[in-house]
Amino acid sequence: MANPLRREVRQLYKNLLYLGREYPQGADYFRERLNSAFMKNKYVTDPKEIRKLVDCGEDVIKELGTMYYLREYSIMKKRFYEEELLGLLNIGRPTD
Amino acid sequence: MASRVLAQCVRQLPRSSVRLSSGNIAVRTAAVPRTRWTEQTRISSSVGVFCRQYGDLPPLTIESIKERVMYVLKLYDKINPEKLATSSHFLKDLGLDSLDQVEIIMAMEDEFGFEIPDVEAEKLMSPQDIVQYIADKKDVYE
Repeated sequence: MANPLRREVRQLYKNLLYLGREYPQGADYFRERLNSAFMKNKYVTDPKEIRKLVDCGEDVIKELGTMYYLREYSIMKKRFYEEELLGLLNIGRPTD
Repeated sequence: MASRVLAQCVRQLPRSSVRLSSGNIAVRTAAVPRTRWTEQTRISSSVGVFCRQYGDLPPLTIESIKERVMYVLKLYDKINPEKLATSSHFLKDLGLDSLDQVEIIMAMEDEFGFEIPDVEAEKLMSPQDIVQYIADKKDVYE
């Protein structure tokens, strides 16, 4: 396997593992799926194919990134705007 | 070394106060038990009162690094703990994959708390290599 490509594959695997730690359905589930996905393409030797697969992997990284970002956004929104929501529904306000 | 300096300061304190009040005989007699007190503190000053303690991890030794590395490796599910030795090669002896090696290096990064760049991580192929690398990075010499 060409050396720079090998390094990129390693880095891709490492980045996906780091991201997978916070996966909502469990880090182990993610790791197994990741392993099997990499093992399926273990014997690919054509550099162009490898490049395509690496780009695929990078897309997955971007998807996971946005998913985590949206999840955080929704949590923060719930935390900070809950009071306004409660205010609209007139719950939890001390009666004067 | 700091404790030695502090001990010297402790010794000099009552001596300087005796010099200031040298005219007064009563003070001189009172100074005698005080010098006795400094004799006592000279013996025990390294232990206690003026010694500062900083929070830090205990210093690493090659033995402790090796223990921790082997412990982490035994916890990895793809490694058979009976076959594991310090000189066993990950790919050849233990039958692991290069991706497994990436995972092992990540586990080591988590255990020891510092990042290992990919360029150097590729070359670490046995527990002995890892111990050597960490000892080099953390300046542990024995």
